[in-house]
Amino acid sequence: MKGHERDTVNKDNVSLKSPVALSLGLHLMIVVVALAGWSWTNPVQEPEPRSISARLISPEPKPSPVVDEEDQRAEAEKREQAAEQQRKKDEAERKKAQQEAERKAAEKAAQEKARKLEQERKQQEAKAREKAEQQARAKEAARKKAEAEAKERERQKAEQERKRQEEAKRKAEEEKKRQEERRRAEEAERKRKEEQARKEAERKRKEAERRLREQQLNALAEEAEQARESEARRQREAAAARAREAQMLTDSEKYQALIRDRLAQAWYPPASATENMVARLQITLLPTGELQSVSLVSSSGNTAFDNSALSAVRSLNRYPVPGDRDTFERYFRQFTIEFNPKRLR
Amino acid sequence: MHKSNNSRHGLAKRHLTAIGWLLVMCFVASSARAELLIRITEGANSAIPVAVVPFAESGAMPAGDKVSSIVQADLTMSGEFKPLDPSKMLSLPSERSEVYFRDWRMLGQRYVLVGQLTNKGGKIEARYELFDVNREQRILGETAAAPAGNVRSLAHHISDRVYEAITGEPGAFSTKLAYVTLSGTGKNSVYRLHVSDIDGQRSKVRLESDEPILSPSWSPDGKKLAYVSFETGKPAIYIHELATGKRTKAADFPGLNSAPAWSPDGRSLLMTLSKDGNAEVYEKNLASGRITKLTNHWAIDTEAAWDHAGKGVFFTSDRSGGPQIYYMERPGAEARRLTFGSRYNARPRPDSKGEYVYYVHQRDRSFHIARRNLKTEEEFIVTRTGTDESPSVSPNGRMLIYATEQGGKGVLTVVSADGGAAYSLPASEGEVREPAWGPITR
Repeated sequence: MKGHERDTVNKDNVSLKSPVALSLGLHLMIVVVALAGWSWTNPVQEPEPRSISARLISPEPKPSPVVDEEDQRAEAEKREQAAEQQRKKDEAERKKAQQEAERKAAEKAAQEKARKLEQERKQQEAKAREKAEQQARAKEAARKKAEAEAKERERQKAEQERKRQEEAKRKAEEEKKRQEERRRAEEAERKRKEEQARKEAERKRKEAERRLREQQLNALAEEAEQARESEARRQREAAAARAREAQMLTDSEKYQALIRDRLAQAWYPPASATENMVARLQITLLPTGELQSVSLVSSSGNTAFDNSALSAVRSLNRYPVPGDRDTFERYFRQFTIEFNPKRLR
Repeated sequence: MHKSNNSRHGLAKRHLTAIGWLLVMCFVASSARAELLIRITEGANSAIPVAVVPFAESGAMPAGDKVSSIVQADLTMSGEFKPLDPSKMLSLPSERSEVYFRDWRMLGQRYVLVGQLTNKGGKIEARYELFDVNREQRILGETAAAPAGNVRSLAHHISDRVYEAITGEPGAFSTKLAYVTLSGTGKNSVYRLHVSDIDGQRSKVRLESDEPILSPSWSPDGKKLAYVSFETGKPAIYIHELATGKRTKAADFPGLNSAPAWSPDGRSLLMTLSKDGNAEVYEKNLASGRITKLTNHWAIDTEAAWDHAGKGVFFTSDRSGGPQIYYMERPGAEARRLTFGSRYNARPRPDSKGEYVYYVHQRDRSFHIARRNLKTEEEFIVTRTGTDESPSVSPNGRMLIYATEQGGKGVLTVVSADGGAAYSLPASEGEVREPAWGPITR
């Protein structure tokens, strides 16, 4: 198989390097002749090298039969050789003489044949040369032709390319134009839309502004109204608060006076009291008027005096306090009582 | 823009208003927080309710008044207390565990005195406690003892302790009184100088005379009495030692020898002498016997008394035409008239604190005891009776004893210094006059 490949590879070379093939052919011929055709007396009858050559370069399978033929022939030869050897022995003597004669004739013929071969070789060489030249020319022509064709093709191709490019360019141009056109249209559309949008926005803005202004005006009006109302309410409330304050104060004064009276009745300033003695007590009441706690916050310096005050404060079962919770919380939840005898008995 | 500016302005304005309101509120709140102050400048014009619970007794008790009864009487006499009738008491506790403050509170009592008496080998021991009903606190808890025959002293002592615990002033219930009684008329007249407890009990006659006895005056230590006696037919001043009964003449000059008054240090005696023709105030040094003339005026100067500090001298003088009260800042200094507006002001008796001076004061046709505030010059009529004389102030300045007439008979009356309550001493036979309140002796 390798050989096939190699042959296949070589096939291209055969046509390119026919002189080599030729020489190969010739050598092969020589070997064949030397082995088998030695007896052939008429070398003229030998097929034309050209045909051999031609056959050689003709379709491939040919060499195989040659090989097969050779094998078969080798088989036959072996059988023949056995007979031959027998026959040779018989004819050795005869042959020897004959060989001598033949040798001489052969020498002559060989010489002749060599000369002829030389001639033939020269002729063949010339022929081969010619053929080679011819082939070279043909090849050259073919090459040139191919070149020309190639050039033509190139040119055509270039032409086509140019045309194609031109076409493409044109098309691109057209496309560009078209796009430009479209872009312009779009731009115009966009601008139109923008304008429209702007106008819409403007309209909306104006509308919004108008609405805002209206709202503001409304708000201002409302605010003014509210301000008036709240001012009125505030004044009402302030008046109410003042009234309430006054009421609480009045209430508180009333109950202060009541508490003062009750405590004055309950207080027995001790004999040791003097007019400059002051005891301060902080008292905490429950809303019911019951005393929750009392503490001496400032002593008079006289224990009996302090005790008399504490005792007085504790002696009241229930302090007179206003029923109004706010007044109570503000004034009477916790307050201070000062015991100071301005007028001693 | 302008509008929004305006509204912003409005907003700012509103903020300002809000801040203003806040400030106002703060102010209101702070002024509201200023705590209410109630000033009590007057006390009850009545006596302090006090419950003197009859003391529990164990062992033999002497006959006569119960200790608690004496205490109750003492407190009543002071005019400052109004003891609860024991029959109204809901319980008769004798120690703390038995005291239900709520009950006493309900009865309107301020103080509750409880105690136990035990006879310990002839000695009576008192164990007593005083409670403040409102404060629910014990303010006094003591024990005291006295011989069985001297339970009045024990009782007066308890009264003094109770009085002091409540008023802050020492009690004067253990002090003595000196006074003069007159029995019989004309040639049968008998004058007697008495010394007794201030409730008139345990009275003892120290001097008896057919002739008048006047102006008893206690030495500061309470051991001696100076008085004027006419026993020799003419007035002379005597000093009488109570413990021994020893008498010495302190002044027996020609003419008038009257109105003796001890100095606070007990070293000298003020007196009125007319040895030089006109009645003047003199001071006699008791140690040296030297006599110093303190006043020198053509009018009558008499009834002198040292002030509380023993520096200035009050006296009566008619240099203005009628008797009036005068005061010398020191002996020999120019006299300053204190009383006006009445034809008759006499016999000045200062208290022991330098606050007041008491004297006989005529208003319309009646004679009262008046009290003058030395600082404010305010004059206050203490007594309500009409023929009042001889005022004498208790050593604690809280009570006043004076002589007056009841049913045409002279009696002694004790009144609280502010005129609150009057308590007439039980009249012995005859007339009682010239009371003198003895000092506190410890």
